[in-house]
Amino acid sequence: MSGRARARARGVARSSFKATEVGRTQASSLPTSVDLSNNEASSSSGFMGTSRISTNRKYEISSCDAGSTFMERGVKNKRDFMDLDICTREKLAHVRDCKTGSSGIPVKLVTNLFNLDFPQDWQLYQYHVTYLPDLASRRLRIALLYSHSKLSDKAKAFDGAMLFLSQKLEEKVTELSSETQRGETVKMTITLKRELPSSSPMCIQVFNIIFRKILKKLSMYQIGRNFYNPSEPMEIPQHKLSLWPGFAISVSYFESKLLFSADVSYKVLRNETVLEFMTALCHRTGLSCFTQTCEKQLIGLIVLTRYNNRTYRIDDIDWSVRPTHTFQKRDGTEITYVDYYKQQYDITISDLNQPVLVSLLKRKRYDNSEAQLAHLIPELCFLTGLTEQATSDFQLMKAVAEKMRLSPLGRQQRLARLVDDLQRNTNARFELETWGLHFGSQVSLTGRIVPSEKILMQDHICQPVSAADWSKDVRTCKILSAQSLNTWLILCSDRTEYVANSFLNCLRRVGDSMGFIVDYPKIIKVQETPAAFVRAVQQHVDPDVQLVMCILPSNQKTYYDSIKKYLSLDCPVPSQCVLARTLNKQGMMMSIATKIAMQMTCKLGGELWAVEIPLKSLMVVGIDVCKDALSKDVMVVGCVASVNPGITRWFSRCILQRTTTDVADCLKVFMTGALNKWYKYNHDLPARIIVYRAGVGDGQLKTLIEYEVPQLLSSVAESSSNASSRLSVIVVRKKCMPRFFTEMNRTVQNPPLGTVVDSEATRNEWYDFYLISQVAGRGTVSPTYYNVIYDDNGLKPDHMQRLTFKLCHLYYNWPGLISVPAPCQYARKLTFLVAQSIHKEPSLELASFLFYL
Amino acid sequence: MEENKLQCSSVVDGNFEEVPRETVIQFKPPLYRQRYQFVKNLVEQHEPKKVADLGCGDTSLLRLLKVNPCIELLVGVDINEDKLRWRGDTLAPFMGDFLKPRDLNLTITLYHGSVVERDSRLLGFDLITCIELIEHLDSGDLARFPEVVFGYLSPSMIVISTPNSEFNPLFPSVTLRDSDHKFEWTRMEFQTWALYVANRYDYSVEFTGVGEPPAGAENVGYCTQIGIFRKNGGKAMESCVSEQHDQHVYKATMGLTMLPRLVLNFHPQAVLLPNPPKMLRLQVFTTSYPSLQQERFFKLVLVNEVSQQVESLRVSHLPRQKKQDGEWGDKPKDSKAPGPCFGPVFTEIEKAKIENSPKPFCVGDKFFVPLQRLLAYPKLNRLCANEEMMRSVIADSIPLSSDGSAVVADLRDYFDEQF
Repeated sequence: MSGRARARARGVARSSFKATEVGRTQASSLPTSVDLSNNEASSSSGFMGTSRISTNRKYEISSCDAGSTFMERGVKNKRDFMDLDICTREKLAHVRDCKTGSSGIPVKLVTNLFNLDFPQDWQLYQYHVTYLPDLASRRLRIALLYSHSKLSDKAKAFDGAMLFLSQKLEEKVTELSSETQRGETVKMTITLKRELPSSSPMCIQVFNIIFRKILKKLSMYQIGRNFYNPSEPMEIPQHKLSLWPGFAISVSYFESKLLFSADVSYKVLRNETVLEFMTALCHRTGLSCFTQTCEKQLIGLIVLTRYNNRTYRIDDIDWSVRPTHTFQKRDGTEITYVDYYKQQYDITISDLNQPVLVSLLKRKRYDNSEAQLAHLIPELCFLTGLTEQATSDFQLMKAVAEKMRLSPLGRQQRLARLVDDLQRNTNARFELETWGLHFGSQVSLTGRIVPSEKILMQDHICQPVSAADWSKDVRTCKILSAQSLNTWLILCSDRTEYVANSFLNCLRRVGDSMGFIVDYPKIIKVQETPAAFVRAVQQHVDPDVQLVMCILPSNQKTYYDSIKKYLSLDCPVPSQCVLARTLNKQGMMMSIATKIAMQMTCKLGGELWAVEIPLKSLMVVGIDVCKDALSKDVMVVGCVASVNPGITRWFSRCILQRTTTDVADCLKVFMTGALNKWYKYNHDLPARIIVYRAGVGDGQLKTLIEYEVPQLLSSVAESSSNASSRLSVIVVRKKCMPRFFTEMNRTVQNPPLGTVVDSEATRNEWYDFYLISQVAGRGTVSPTYYNVIYDDNGLKPDHMQRLTFKLCHLYYNWPGLISVPAPCQYARKLTFLVAQSIHKEPSLELASFLFYL
Repeated sequence: MEENKLQCSSVVDGNFEEVPRETVIQFKPPLYRQRYQFVKNLVEQHEPKKVADLGCGDTSLLRLLKVNPCIELLVGVDINEDKLRWRGDTLAPFMGDFLKPRDLNLTITLYHGSVVERDSRLLGFDLITCIELIEHLDSGDLARFPEVVFGYLSPSMIVISTPNSEFNPLFPSVTLRDSDHKFEWTRMEFQTWALYVANRYDYSVEFTGVGEPPAGAENVGYCTQIGIFRKNGGKAMESCVSEQHDQHVYKATMGLTMLPRLVLNFHPQAVLLPNPPKMLRLQVFTTSYPSLQQERFFKLVLVNEVSQQVESLRVSHLPRQKKQDGEWGDKPKDSKAPGPCFGPVFTEIEKAKIENSPKPFCVGDKFFVPLQRLLAYPKLNRLCANEEMMRSVIADSIPLSSDGSAVVADLRDYFDEQF
């Protein structure tokens, strides 16, 4: 396996943090939360940085009053709750009464969920408040209501229009009057709208707001919807990163009750200003292509301004403006940036040659007036989030993962500390008590460990010692099938010719023991430039060539991208890229050669191993989506389907489409292709189809049910004149709130592989379960969440769970269990290759090979 | 406490004009801002360490002052608790304050309570400001005010601003500028009061104001009149502070929840507080800022600056290397190309100091920067006085050479290969 491939495979196995905490989630983690009582707090100080620019362009300046309503402010929040309205289980007759399995060994589990106790008849009262005369300022409306004696000792949440109380007011309509400081009398009419039971979505939303308020009282710093402790930062100076430990918290309604969930989370902050970044970049690139590279690197990033705590997106860089230039303030006076920051924030700008960053301000108002621009000084802007480049830096990600890794015991201790703080802090407790709530005990439940699987090799059935990694167990076994490799090429440079030869010897040796016959290749020496590699490929690849191996001198992305692009589009031939550095690793040659041999076998259409599949005519499908790295409005949809009953051979398609169109539209094209392929190999259609759909965001469940499932159903129906295949659709999520621990020998540990949880931490409206199919090493394992949204197959929950577990064994890039079913991982791998390197639909000639491994 | 503060809540971010009340007179910048700016200038000029704002309202002035590097303790007191509570959050440190900490510690505390209560926690201040405050005090409170603020608290400097009623005829149909004002004084009235108070408590006073009268009406004076009181004989004496230490009128937040709400109405006028009990002042908010005085943050900043400097030296070391390797032959670097050029600008003395310090060097694929070299850079020199100190702070975060005299880094890193 190449270094790159390994980094990815690892990423796959244990990088749950990658997507959740480190990725470019910054943009969405702006303070968008609905905070009814402390609103505006986050957006108050300093209008500046957003100063008007003294050009002749016209910018409409406004004092944009944030008068939007609860609902509008809560768009993001709403999205999370949207999924909750969807009840899929009631339509699935076979699980309506019971969705839990029974096989396997019961195991007692502790969770990161906590009971919230409140009186049986607890209700939330929703009121609407109107003002006479009407007040435009939300801040003023809140101030008037909050200071009124009638409400002062009540627990309340208010956004300027909607008021929530836990105690009912005596009257349905209450009239209050208050006086502003200017002496105007304002009448407030408070009208009861609804009484909400504790399980209603609105109520859950209010609970979340209450808890956010409480966590703030514990002096935690809110970023997005998580809370961090900035006074205990962890540093990674060599990568200019700070990590703030904290918690992601939420209150939601699980199977039968309202639970509070908390998970340890880290905020990654960068100790690097834009100016520092630019200076370093300038040194690296030289001046000639600096501006261009700089724009490419910076535009689109989110920066944090240190003086007013706001975040901005960099939309442009104005190289013609300097800090010594002037701009026009709102009052019409001209001032230089240097003077402005000195006067306003007592900040001295030290570098007077820096350009300014330009950010297009988002409009808060609904009118269509022209956009406002803000000029920002690079020296005063901190970078946020990690760039793609950083996330692809194995060393950096390793350092981050290292810091973030927390054993189950460590995690449990952090949770205990949080709970202790919540219960001890008088302010926090008082807040809870006024709402009539009580923080209860940690939830424990019973899971089941499903039986382990046997690995089927060519002439041997193996029961691995550990399902996490069976490479040792099968070292001497022959793989299921392999094409022999007769005509192939190795491209390398003068410098790497030596390692290429010694590697070739190893490869032939390990291939031999695996049952993969490798002939001598044609070795072509090329110069160390990406262009030279592509030229050599163009010259030497003819229709007989089965595979091209490239030994890359560096991990510069252009090498990999240009080779993959040419060999997946223009001249479809499987290719294998390896970093010279990887082959240089002393004492690891055999294991590296083994991994590469396995990858090469798959790319040629071979099969490595299988597990026993009790269903005789079953097709499994994996679907994943991601955004194209170059053009952000292009969505890459990768689909993979098994084409034999043993689930060892795969058909794939990757389709690129505009983000505005629904994913569903291309599913038909793919399904028809997959079913044709199946028919070709099996002379019949599959009796059952199970689709694992990954890449589903919050609030998309409805779209899936309304558009994608019908599309899949219709393409299945159209492919056959008589009885069509039965379909199930399962949403797979690697990100979920619950964590499970086992208590053993007085300490807490990760649950064993194959642990299934299908009660208490699940949701009553859904046919869902958690499965632990990955090893977390020294960290805490995160379970994968499965939600069966459509099911014609009528498999018993036991069988569905076990089948899913079996599929987690079939990813040929890793001889062990992985966190998701293999079809999902193949689809993910495929979309990643296309989105990062190829940017076009790969040639259909490769559709039957695992060329994307 | 003043008319504008309420209006300011109707517009976001304090960036607004005074709401016109059919007035012909408008101040630019708005009058309230001129008052704050006045205080800010005063703070810059005198660099007080401990500053309190009595009648701080929505804490706008505190927010303006907190950026000042000289202030280490900033206190706000107001009678309107809800406003304090609700705006308090905006005074908490920003994310950027953790990434680039201040030099000196800063604590900001808000108390809820009357300004005419004695409270030992306000003793020993360098500056106490009462911006548009006194005109809201009824006669009883006004009578107690000098005794408490001048006599008991006795800070080095006091700033009092109040409307100048001589200016009022220029406003159409205005008797008092705010319905809560108990009085508005002429210049004569204010100065008489001020001089009496100054004399009694041994302060000297100087009068000025903000809000220039329009042309032709210069004789009415500033719209807002200001008195700056300086204590004769310098700073507050430490000894008299300790004597009175036990008089705490402010209470920690904990007790708050147990007490009945004291201020029930938004409108201070309507609050009935007959002889408020001693427990009246409550701390509603407090926050401390990260600073270089705190070891944790000092280390963070030093380690970051060192890494930054090493990185910058390392990358500037690279291109020459690359040329030697011939690796980048196809991308000639045109040193004459016009383009941006940044990085810190050094004075001649600084340049010489850097030039004379030991140079970075390479051994194999390792890059060494002597600590002495790092210390030559002004940014690091400012943080760290000597090599020994630098070594001890960064040792467990940054790899050092075996003799501890230099920082070691890999000559090439992942990013270099990307360009």
